[in-house]
Order: sequence, then C-alpha cells, then structure tokens
Amino acid sequence: MKEVFSYVRPYKWPAIFALCLMLLELFVELVQPLIMAKIIDEGVRAQNQGMIMQWGAVLIALSFVAFLAGVINSYFSSHTAQSFSYDLRNAMFDKIQSFTLTTYQKFSTASLITRLTNDVTQVQTVLFMSLRIMLRAPLAVIGSIVMAFVVNAKLALFLVIGAPVILIFLIFMVAKGVSYFGRVQKRVDRLNRVLQENLQAIRLVKAYLRGAYEATRFDEVASRLKIDSVKALRVMEYIMPVLLFIMNMSLLAVLWFGTKQIATGTTPLGDIVAIINYAMRMTGSFSMFAFIIIFYARAKASAERMAEVLSIENEVEDTSLSEELGHTMSYGELTFEHVSFTYPGGDAPVLFDVSFQVKSGEKLAIMGATGAGKSTLLQLIPRFYEVTNGRILVEGQDVQHWELQELREIIGYVPQQSLLFTGSIADNVRWGDTQAEMDAVLQVTMQAQIHASVEDFPNGYDTRVGQKGVNLSGGQKQRLSIARALLRKGHILMLDDSTSALDVKTEQSLWEALSEEKATMLVVTQKIRTAKGADRILLIDAGKVVAYGKHEELLQTSTLYKKIAISQQEVEE
Amino acid sequence: MGFFQKPFGNEPILTKDDLKQVVKKKKGPRAADWKSTLLRLWKIVDEQRALLIVVLLLVMISSILALVGPYLIGQMIDNYVMHGELTGLGKGIVLLIGINVLLAVSLFLQNYWMIGIAQQTIYRLRTSVFTHFQRLPIAFFDRRQHGELMSRMTNDIEAVNSTLNSSFIQVFSSVLTLGGTIIIMLSLSPLLTVLTMTIIPIMFWAMRWITRRTAPLFKEQQAAIGALNGMIEETISGQRIVKAFSQEERMKVEFREKSLRLRRTGFWAQTYSGYIPKVMNFLNNMSFTIVAGIGGMLALYGHVSIGVIVIFTEYARQFTRPLNDLANQFNTVLSAIAGAERVFALLDEQPEVETATTQKHHLLGQVAFKHVYFKYEQEEETYTLKNVNFKVEPGQTVALVGATGAGKTTILQLIARFYEVNKGEVLFDGVNVQQMDRQSLRSQMAFVLQDPFLFEASVRENIRYGRLDASDEEIEGAAKRANAHDFIMKLKDGYNTVLAADGREISQGQKQLLSIARALIADPKILLLDEATSSIDTVTEMAIQEALDTLMQGRTSFVIAHRLNTVHNADMVLVMHKGELVEAGPQQKLIESGGLYAQMLHSSSHHLEE
Repeated sequence: MKEVFSYVRPYKWPAIFALCLMLLELFVELVQPLIMAKIIDEGVRAQNQGMIMQWGAVLIALSFVAFLAGVINSYFSSHTAQSFSYDLRNAMFDKIQSFTLTTYQKFSTASLITRLTNDVTQVQTVLFMSLRIMLRAPLAVIGSIVMAFVVNAKLALFLVIGAPVILIFLIFMVAKGVSYFGRVQKRVDRLNRVLQENLQAIRLVKAYLRGAYEATRFDEVASRLKIDSVKALRVMEYIMPVLLFIMNMSLLAVLWFGTKQIATGTTPLGDIVAIINYAMRMTGSFSMFAFIIIFYARAKASAERMAEVLSIENEVEDTSLSEELGHTMSYGELTFEHVSFTYPGGDAPVLFDVSFQVKSGEKLAIMGATGAGKSTLLQLIPRFYEVTNGRILVEGQDVQHWELQELREIIGYVPQQSLLFTGSIADNVRWGDTQAEMDAVLQVTMQAQIHASVEDFPNGYDTRVGQKGVNLSGGQKQRLSIARALLRKGHILMLDDSTSALDVKTEQSLWEALSEEKATMLVVTQKIRTAKGADRILLIDAGKVVAYGKHEELLQTSTLYKKIAISQQEVEE
Repeated sequence: MGFFQKPFGNEPILTKDDLKQVVKKKKGPRAADWKSTLLRLWKIVDEQRALLIVVLLLVMISSILALVGPYLIGQMIDNYVMHGELTGLGKGIVLLIGINVLLAVSLFLQNYWMIGIAQQTIYRLRTSVFTHFQRLPIAFFDRRQHGELMSRMTNDIEAVNSTLNSSFIQVFSSVLTLGGTIIIMLSLSPLLTVLTMTIIPIMFWAMRWITRRTAPLFKEQQAAIGALNGMIEETISGQRIVKAFSQEERMKVEFREKSLRLRRTGFWAQTYSGYIPKVMNFLNNMSFTIVAGIGGMLALYGHVSIGVIVIFTEYARQFTRPLNDLANQFNTVLSAIAGAERVFALLDEQPEVETATTQKHHLLGQVAFKHVYFKYEQEEETYTLKNVNFKVEPGQTVALVGATGAGKTTILQLIARFYEVNKGEVLFDGVNVQQMDRQSLRSQMAFVLQDPFLFEASVRENIRYGRLDASDEEIEGAAKRANAHDFIMKLKDGYNTVLAADGREISQGQKQLLSIARALIADPKILLLDEATSSIDTVTEMAIQEALDTLMQGRTSFVIAHRLNTVHNADMVLVMHKGELVEAGPQQKLIESGGLYAQMLHSSSHHLEE
C-alpha cells in the first residue's frame, strides 16, 4: 500500500489544496444547522425578521463559496488522481520492461495486463473519491460529533457510545475485504488468461471444434469470478446495516435522555433539535462510509498486487555485472567456453560443457534433434538468461561484462516464431531502428527476399500487418523477421530455424544474398543443405556437443550427422 | 479563466465544435443508442425477475421506513419532547427501535440479493461474449488486437459491473424517496414545497450541460483503456523481441503516449463528472436557505409551527439527496453505457455464416475446389486464390507445394472453412460446403497448424484436446507414435507436467510433436497438415513418418511441406504459384512434364550437388 501510494507524493500540493477546498465545503455544511438554530431561536422565537434575513443572506453567501470550492476541487482532485495513476502505470510498465525473462515466469502476461489496467483503475478511483467526497463522510461524522459536543456535551456523549465497537468492527471488515478482493483480482487474472489463450489459439479451437469445450472452461473461470465477487461484496454488505443500527440506537438514546433533561429544565429544546439534526447527518454519511470501506479494501488488495510488481528488485536485468575490461576489436567474434546452463527453477541442465568458437565473419550452423538445446544456446548470447557455468565471449569480452544495451545492439536475432507487431510492414521492418531510411529498408527487404512479395501487396510497404501477422504466410513472416534483424546491422546475426517455411528456391537466394553480410552468423537449421554452406557445423545432442567441424569432416566422423544426412538425401538424390 | 480550460496542461479533448456535433447526434440516433443499450442490459438483468421483484419490494419497504423515521421523530419532538412527556416518548422510541431493526434487515437483504443479481448479470454478459467469440469468423480476430478484445471482457464489463452493483437499488430507492418526500412535504406545507422545487429546472439544465460532455468522454476513456491494453498484451507477449532488439526505451515512450491519452480523457471525464455533486450540493444549500429563510418568516406570522420548519428542512434535504443520488448515478450509468456499448458491439458482430442444415454429413472424403476465388480483405484488389480447381478422391494424399505466399495455407483454411470463398465452390462429396453444417464438417477433420499452440495445461490434456474422450492409454499411444513419449517422460512430471504459458520447457519442435500426437488421436476423415514437421529434425521426422503414413491411410490428407521428401509418397501434387494452381497430378507425371514442379525439384537437388 505504502509503495503504491508514494506515487501520490509529487501531487501532494494539488491533493492538499483539494482537501482544503473539500474541508471548506464541509465546514459550510456543518455550520448550516447552527445558523438554522440561530434563525429559529433568534429570529422566529424572538420575532425578529431582520435576524432571519441577515442569517439567510449568510447562508446563501456560504453556499456560493462552497459551490466554487467544489468546482475547483474537481479540477485538483482529478488532476491528482489521473496523474498519480499515469505515473503508477508508467512506473510499473518500466519495471516490467526491466524484468529478466526468468522474472516473467512469475507473472502470466494476463496477470500483468490486469495489474496495469484494472488494478490501477481501482486505486485511482479510490484516490479520486477520497479527495472529492469520500473523506467527507468520515470528516462529516467527526465534524458532526464535534459540533454536537459544542452544543451539548452530555447529550452528545450518547452519540459516541457505539464508536469503539464500530471501530473494531470496521478494522475487522477491512482485513476481511482485502483478502476477499485479492482473490477476486486473481480470478480476473485467470479469466484474462483463458481469454488470451483462446484468442491466440482461435484456429486450433475452431479446427478441433472445441468451441463448446472452451466455453465450459471459460464458464468455469467466469463463475468462479462471480462466486468470489459475490462473496466479497456480500461480506462487505454487513457494514452498512450494522452501522445504521448502532447509530439509530444512539439517536434514540439522545431523544430519550434529552427529553428527560428538558423535563428537569437543564436543556433547551434548540439543543436537542440541533443534536438530532447532527445525528441524522451522521446516519446520512453512513451509506457513503460503507462504500468507502468496500472501495478501500478493494484498492488495498489491488495496491498489494501492484506493489508485488514494483518491489521486484533482484530480478531486473543487470546492465553489466562488473566493470568493462576492454574488448579486443575482433568484429563479431564469438566464443563459448565450457558453457553449461540450467533454466532457473529447472533441475536438469539443458546445455552441458559447450565450447566452440566462431571467427569474425564466419558462419556456424547449429544442428541437433528436437529439444537438443539449440534455441537455448542462442538465447544465452544476448543474455536472456545467465549461464550457469563457463562463459561466453563476444568480441573477446565476457557477455556478463558487456553493457547489456550495447551487447544487444550488435546482435541481430531472428527468433523461431516470427512475431510481428501491429502496424505497417515498413513499421515492422523498422521496428529495431525507427530512424532507418526507406533506402535501408528496401536494401534489407531485398536481401531477405521479401521485397517482391511486399510490392505485390496492394498497399506495398504500407500494408497493415494484422494481429501478430496473421494475414501473412509463414514464409513471409519469417522473411520480414529476417529483414527486421538485418536492418540492425549487427556484428552477430542469429537465425533460429528461421527459414523453415521457405521454399528451396527462395531460401537459396536468401543465403546467397546473406553471403555478402560481414556479420558472424549463427544459423540453427534442420537442413543439411543449409549447414553445408556454413564454415563449421556444431551438432548438439541432449545439450552436449557431439560433433564440431566442416560438413565433409562430420560425414566421416559423426554417425549421427551421417544419419541426418541420409535422412535428407534419400529423396533428394 | 485559462486554468479552467487547460488545467495542469491538460488540453481540452472536446472542443466547441465537437460538442456541437455531439448535440446534433444526440437528437438523432444517439439517444436511441442509450436506450437500446440500456434495454439490452435490462433484458439480461430481467432474467432473474422473481428475485428482482423481491429486491424492489424490499427497496420500497426500506424507503418507506427511512421516511417514516424522521417523521416520527418530528412528531415526537412536537408532542412529547417539547412538553417533556416521557411515557409517550417511551412508546415512540419502542416503535422507532422496531422500525430501525426492520430497516437494517431490509437494507441488508436487498443488497444481499442485488449483489447476486448483478454478478449473475455480469457473468451472463461475459459468457455470452465468449460464446459469441467462438462463433465469430477467423477474419474477425485477424483484424483486432488481442489485448483490446481482452479489455472489453475486463475493463468494459467492469464499468458495467460497478454500476449494476450500486446504481440499480440507488436509482429505484431515489425515485421512491423522491416521490414519498414530495407527498409528505406537500402535506406539511404546499407553499414551502413549491419553493423547494424551484431548483429542479436549474438542476436539469446543469445536468444536461455536464452529461453532454461526460458521455463522449467516457466512451473515449474506455477506448483509450482498450488501446493501452492492446499495446501491453503485444509488448509483453513479444518481450523476447523487445529485449533482443533492445527496444525497451521505445516501448516505454510508446506506452507513455497511450497512457497519456488515457490520463487526458480520464482527467476531463472525472473533472466534469465531479461537477455533479457540487452543483447538487449548491442547489441543496439553496433550498435549505429558502426553507429556513422563508419558513422562518412564515413561522413569524404564525403560518407554520416551528416543529414543521425543523422537519421540513430535514425533508428538504431528503428531497435533494435522492436527486443528488440520481444525478450521481446518472453519471456512473453513463460510464456503464460506454462500457456496455463496446461489449454489445462485439455481440453484434456477424457470426460465421450459418447453414440451413444441422444434419450430420458423413464424409466419404472427396474434396473438390471449383473455380474458387478468395481474398482475405474485401478491400483488397487482388485475390489470394484465383480460379482454383481440383478434385481429390477419398483416401488420397495431396501434397501442396509452391513458394511462400503462393496460397497453400489459404487452401487448407478454406477446406476447414475458416473463411468463406468469394466466388466458386468448395465441395465435399459433391456437396457445397455452404450447404453443410460447419460443426459436423470440422468434427471430421484434424488440423496441424503452422504455429503449434499449447494451452497452459498438462501435456496429457494438451494431447487430449484432439479428442476429449480419449483414454490415458490412447494418449500415451499417440505420443509414442508421434515420437513424443521419450521427451515427455523426461519432463518433471511426465504427462502431468503443466506447460507454462510461453511453453519454454519444451522446444518448438517438441511442440510440433505434441500437436501431431493431438491429430493422431482425433481420428479424422480429412487430415490437414500445414508444415507440421517444419521445426522437427529430419531424423525424428523419419521416425514419425511411419506414424504419419499410417495416419494418412484411408483418410484424405492435405500436406504442406517444403522438404520435398515429405511429399514423395503423395498421390497427387498441387503446385501453387501466386494464388493460382499451375500444375496438378501424380508426382511422376509432373516430373516428366518438366513444368514448375520439375524445376523446383531440380533446383533443390542441384543445390545439393554443389
């Protein structure tokens, strides 16, 4: 809670100002019954018309003041609330951007989305309401009590008899509410997750006719959400009747004992009328009070969820683990020295004692069975994950000593699943370098063999890429994703099986075009044909290097490699 | 005045011209929009009519009790308190205690049930949107950001939710209280009543001024949240790319832009809606003053008793309070309408074209395309498929070859009827696909997609997705045939391992193996394999080839593969080029004819010989 509300600090002056305005309004409201009593006692009772006019005028003037204060308050409170939530959202997003890929495992995407929107809204609403009206309720209650004491302390005492009970009761309810609403938000996460899965897998769901099945699955999370929401809200529903009941009982006590005092002549009638008036005011605030408690509990639950994100300290990406040692300027050179790697939280090593070196401008093909660790190997280079043992040298320097930003800037990465973003084709190619000239874009798209296809689209480079590139064929996506990486002009280019959807001819032209690149290339592939064009081939099996060398060498030395070659040449010869 | 126009640097979002347009629209369909949105919402609420009536009755009871309380107190002050008469007062107090207990109970019960009604409504709304999603054509999802759609299900429905929880009872009780108060006030003093009512026209004018601004702002606000949600979903899902290209800073900047848009609309929406209680308060105070001042004078001349004035001021406030509540509710209702409109917009999306028949058609497996033309977007000029004709006999295996983007996947998607053709016909056993029940059709097909997708569920459940009633033995059998068993056993909990959302425990190739196992278990009549083995190494591929061959036996199969060896035992090869079917026939025949296919084959073997 504290963590989150520290974001109000920059807006403390507008907030304080808004509060002052609200107090002013409140003051006017509280003074009204007093003036009312004056009109009755000094005006009506004393048959003094002048007094009535005079106090009436005061009342009207005060109302104007309150109105003006209210309008200005509206500006200041919404400024505070909106700017606060804006900062909070940004801070969370920034934090999320700095997460390591391991940290992402902690929160599902769906959960992060809920936290960034839904949870922020909950807290923001409460802040706004408190600045505008919510605080009024407790203040009105306190103010009414104070005024009642001023009027007649003895009678007023009856109004506060129930206060300790109410206080304990409310603290208890808030604690309950926080845990209940926390659960509700978790349910929203689940709902979001099922929804996101379904959107991503819509073709699969349709192909396997699982609409009804998915609907049941969704139904389950939706009804869980419903049940928990109902539970949470119903628990909170006890607040208002309990408060009202205690308050009304106090009021009756005032009436009873007040009348007794009138009988003995110790209390004037006006006092009782005023105190009853205040007591009714208090009851009026109670429905708002119950509201506040509910909202507060909700906001607290949301704030705790946001604090979870904001308070992550040790798992953000370190830019550089130690001071720079100065690297040998061997352009694009890459060395693996006895690298072993186990996924954080995993138990079996995925890579085991991997060593190899790729010289500047060389091309290394990485082959291996499904699940051998090829993609994992690539992901260690831009430090998506930290190696468990051994070290990786890029241009002669341990990657852990590189400034993360600089390291990633010299690496062009084409992932296995070509993920594109909403925007035009040109936007997507420029994605890694928004400032790139159109000439540069054309150059890389030609290299990536996608230029001609793009030209064929009715809108050319302005063609919009649908959600995650659904309107493009698999091969088109792969080539765009290659073009995107090429535009970076990295020293090291990593292609993770990125040509699997390309036909033979296109792929051939692609490799020819790429041969001009001076970057060191790491190519994960299944195809012997592609591997043959590389300077060296690294064959891994179950995380271990089983063969390393040129095509011809491997044919001689490695039975596994030979097996792969046979499996492919069978038809092609 | 500058501050009020651009406070804290927040440029106004609604200019005077915008407002003029809003007003114009309001006269036309806008008002009808609100009405129909509310009406549709009401229909869902109304499904629980019995409970709703009970709640309304309770609201009535509690409203009456809330009115009776102060009235009795007033009476008691006049009759007993002023004279210090304790016995009468005692009776009154006992009566009041009874009333208060009743009030507390009825308040509790009405809210208790209303929460149930509201949440049930929200639940119904959510599930009906989801069910509708399942019926929408793929094309709908192609055009929209996932995050934006998700926002409708959470943030927009949440707006409706918070309104339903509180507003319904509030509005109803406010109306009741208002009516009751007016009656009592009239009975107390018609003159004072009329005086109190003078604020109503001012109130209406003020409300109109405010809602003209807030209504469009709320809509804009929900849209801004949607856009923000869309961006968040995309960036977090694509985090690997963001990191690889070190674009974090740019993402932050982009996020700020969208976030700022939300802040600005939020600011104005809140500021304007914040006016409502203030205006109401002011009018409230005015009426207080009127009653106090004029009432005081009337009392002076003996027209009314002091007790009446005391009570009347209380009622005057009771009168403005429901008005105040109504005004406040009106505003939340507006934000709910903004949310509901976006939700209903989804429900109004045209579902996949329904066919007249729901009769189950048992496929023999013959598939034919007759002069098929197709494009993904209506606005596009060129067709993705142009005049495609072919006929496949039951049980045949068909290989689709051609450059990327030639239209191979499109053909498979049309066979699965993910999209409707623009011209021509897709025929199964000689029957136009549009005459067939989609459900029955798809139930006889299995599709292994280009991008394998796994759900956040156990490995077992992911395979079972192919056929829900498959036994555990069948699942293991399928996994073994798909060569997936070995790696599954190496996972932490074997078949019970729950795959993470991003499925990082297993590689892309392994995902493909799982989705092949999924297809193996489905036992379809028609099998569609779209690059089903593209990420699988060739040795493993050989091992599962046998399983695939058995799978394809006796079924009509369509296979897309770039590795030509996958193609070699096909009965027919369809060669696609730029959306046209340029060659079709048995492989041997195509090689002999020396066309495009022969060239392709040549180029790949040529490369091999290098």
